[in-house]
Amino acid sequence: MDALLHVLVIGVLLGGIYGLVALGLNLIFGVIRIVNFAHGELVMLGMYGAYLAYSLLGLDAYVSILVVVPALFVVGLVVYRLVLQPLHGESSMQIFATFALVIIFQNVVLAVTRGEGYSVPSRIAGHTLELGDVRVTVSRLAILAAVTLAAVGLHLFLQRTMVGKSIRAVTQDRQAARLMGINVERTFMITFGVGSALAGLAGVLLAPIYTLSPGIGGNFILAAFAVVVLGGLGSVAGAYAGGMIVGIVEAFAGYYIDPELKQAIWFLIFLAVLIVRPSGLFGQPGAEEIGFREQE
Amino acid sequence: MSEPFFAARGIAKRFGGLLAVDDVSFALGKGEVVSVIGPNGAGKTTLFNLLTGQLAPSAGEVAFNGQVINALPPERRARLGLGRTFQIAKPLVTLSALQNVMVGTFLRHPRLHDAEDRAWAVLAQVGLAHRAELRASQLTLSERRRLEVARALALEPVIILLDEVMAGLNATEIGEAIALFQRIHGAGMTFLIIEHNLKVVRAFSERVIVIDHGRKIAEGSADDILSRPEVVTAYLGSRRH
Amino acid sequence: MDATSAAYVETRAARAGGIPRVQRAAALYLGGLVLAFVPLAVLSNDAFWLTVLTYTYLFAGLAVAWNILAGFGGQFSLGHGVFFAIGAYVTATLFVDHGLSPWVSLVPSALASAIVGALIFLPTFRLKGSFFAIATLAFNEVALVLANYAESLTGGPRGIQVPFRAGFANMIFADSRGYAILMLGFMALAVGVSVVLMRTRLGYYLLAVRENEDAARAAGISVVQVKLRATALSAALTAVGGALFAMYVRTIDPPTLFSLPDVGVKFALLALIGGMGTIVGPVLGAFLIVPLESYLRALLGGSLPGLHLIILGVVMLLAALFMRRGITGVIDAALVRWRHRRRHV
Repeated sequence: MDALLHVLVIGVLLGGIYGLVALGLNLIFGVIRIVNFAHGELVMLGMYGAYLAYSLLGLDAYVSILVVVPALFVVGLVVYRLVLQPLHGESSMQIFATFALVIIFQNVVLAVTRGEGYSVPSRIAGHTLELGDVRVTVSRLAILAAVTLAAVGLHLFLQRTMVGKSIRAVTQDRQAARLMGINVERTFMITFGVGSALAGLAGVLLAPIYTLSPGIGGNFILAAFAVVVLGGLGSVAGAYAGGMIVGIVEAFAGYYIDPELKQAIWFLIFLAVLIVRPSGLFGQPGAEEIGFREQE
Repeated sequence: MSEPFFAARGIAKRFGGLLAVDDVSFALGKGEVVSVIGPNGAGKTTLFNLLTGQLAPSAGEVAFNGQVINALPPERRARLGLGRTFQIAKPLVTLSALQNVMVGTFLRHPRLHDAEDRAWAVLAQVGLAHRAELRASQLTLSERRRLEVARALALEPVIILLDEVMAGLNATEIGEAIALFQRIHGAGMTFLIIEHNLKVVRAFSERVIVIDHGRKIAEGSADDILSRPEVVTAYLGSRRH
Repeated sequence: MDATSAAYVETRAARAGGIPRVQRAAALYLGGLVLAFVPLAVLSNDAFWLTVLTYTYLFAGLAVAWNILAGFGGQFSLGHGVFFAIGAYVTATLFVDHGLSPWVSLVPSALASAIVGALIFLPTFRLKGSFFAIATLAFNEVALVLANYAESLTGGPRGIQVPFRAGFANMIFADSRGYAILMLGFMALAVGVSVVLMRTRLGYYLLAVRENEDAARAAGISVVQVKLRATALSAALTAVGGALFAMYVRTIDPPTLFSLPDVGVKFALLALIGGMGTIVGPVLGAFLIVPLESYLRALLGGSLPGLHLIILGVVMLLAALFMRRGITGVIDAALVRWRHRRRHV
């Protein structure tokens, strides 16, 4: 029972991480239907942004959110406008372009940092709390709190604000949205910006936990895609729940089956979901069709 | 009466709460030309999709040459001799007109140059031989329609289903198309066509079926149906054709 | 003679083009082969460029194999690393454990890969575009984990080492030029298969399925069967490439075989940049990127870390933005402009 609780807690906390990274990707993939390979690198930039904020401005990791997240929003806007918007409608080339971005981002950071590993200390991150028998670090709890807040915030944003509503409209039916006067391209650009900002948020919160390295984005990208597909495109609740499921399954698989196999396990589940219900657990059935019609 | 050549018996299709096609029955004899008319959204194309196998019926059956073909997917029906065109023409845009038709002729002629030779013949038949090597994307609307028909003819079908193949064509083009269909009909083809254009229906149909709200509401000879004022005004507007 | 036949005879006489006859296609193919051999003849004495050329030929063949399913069939796969690995593992294992000549092992390697490919891709065929790509990506990742795990089968994380026992029958060459010729042969095989395929019914059906599945069905095509056959062919060819790779580098392990940027995704990149959906495109893409990457690495690898990859990434990005249809697209557009100009002088 003890072990079960422990594994569950690990799983939930891990789920928080996956959910946070996937939240932004869910938005991007769900709305614009771009397979953004570079999402992991956006998270990585967020991590290094936190480091920069710390080394240049002396900001604690959690405070640097105020600086890094808007910065990543701008980065997202620029990337979309310069690279992805011109390639609109050519999904193969878009995938290719995002892959080129991965190479560029990773290696620019590598060149600038000359391969030194950095870590971002934080005054509160290191503390641990005791929940019953389980000890949890504040940094991981912060992520859980953040992903919950971010999910709720994103949901409200999408439901209540004009920008959010236009994003939802565009997700459901681009033609109809255009006919209603919504500037689809600008909506896409903003969506990409928000998705990047969320990636930056994830990066900042993950910075106290991991040692920074330029290739660290690769650790998250595949898991993030698995979460997005599992949870359902365009569904905030789906990304959140998907993250939890992936995290918990990974923790349990790692403990009860074999740590070596844990990644395979959730990929297999993700494949099963893709084949049986491509719209994901929480997405609308048929959602995966939308967006491709225009690409024909 | 012996087994009809092509028949729909009590065909119905339900989409969730919507009954798009409701208990439609009709029969075609070999070599007949039958038109299906009705207002937009009446369910005509859905009916076609049920007949060709694109959609599975919620009820009823489709019979071809006495054989019930409900279980057969579209490609099997095509092989049995059922050809169709699509309302929104679906040319294979990166291929040439010749290659488009070859996709069809390959069905009965598996070898490359046999398929090619037959494709030239079909293109000549529809009057597209001079445009054979152009990309399908470079063809005009009228030419794309003819390409659609060519690809259906390439299958050497015994019955051909045309879905609003005249839409958007001018009077000359329509005349040419009717002449083409009459030639093909003369060679023994059976036609089932969805058409809005009354003139075409009058010029090239023996019988007419009227569909509204998914139901067959009238059936008779072309002269009979088209002289009914309620049909003309209610479903085709007061357009003069 | 009825009207139809008369018209047919008339057009047959009048037509100038149509599908090239066998002789012309064969001539073009052999000409291309000779052209591809030229760099080998010229550079065979330079050890560095010989290696580069060897990899170029190999990846050209692999990109062509990928293109059969993705370019002609429209199924954008990011999971071809699985097929590459199957070829490598089967051939290496049969050689190391059973002394079987790799030339012979090519057959079971290709077969195993074709069967696995058909089995795992079948349920994913109904997925559209990006979803199919991600699903195949997942296959690659699962296979990576399994390869690391099944030590008895694959040697686990350490992989398999093929001992250096030179000899033609062993497909191990003391003279590196042997490998270059081997890879050139592979490329010739892959391109040859492509050329022949696009002159068969399966090739045309594949294009039809790519363009419009509904129209394809209405033309009597069984979409699933066509996709399966294309997958099997593409997977088999890729496995052959993997087998040759194993005998070339003689040390194979999961991180190498399942690496997305170096293997699985690379096939796609080379074909895209060269021109997806054309026969020659993937070859051109390989001839551009592989030497460029090697040259940049040799030139700049010592100085600032990552610099050569930055440049490569920028080149790729610019290519994506300005050569939407790849190198063949640029050539096509230039030809159209040239013809247009000739006609209007």
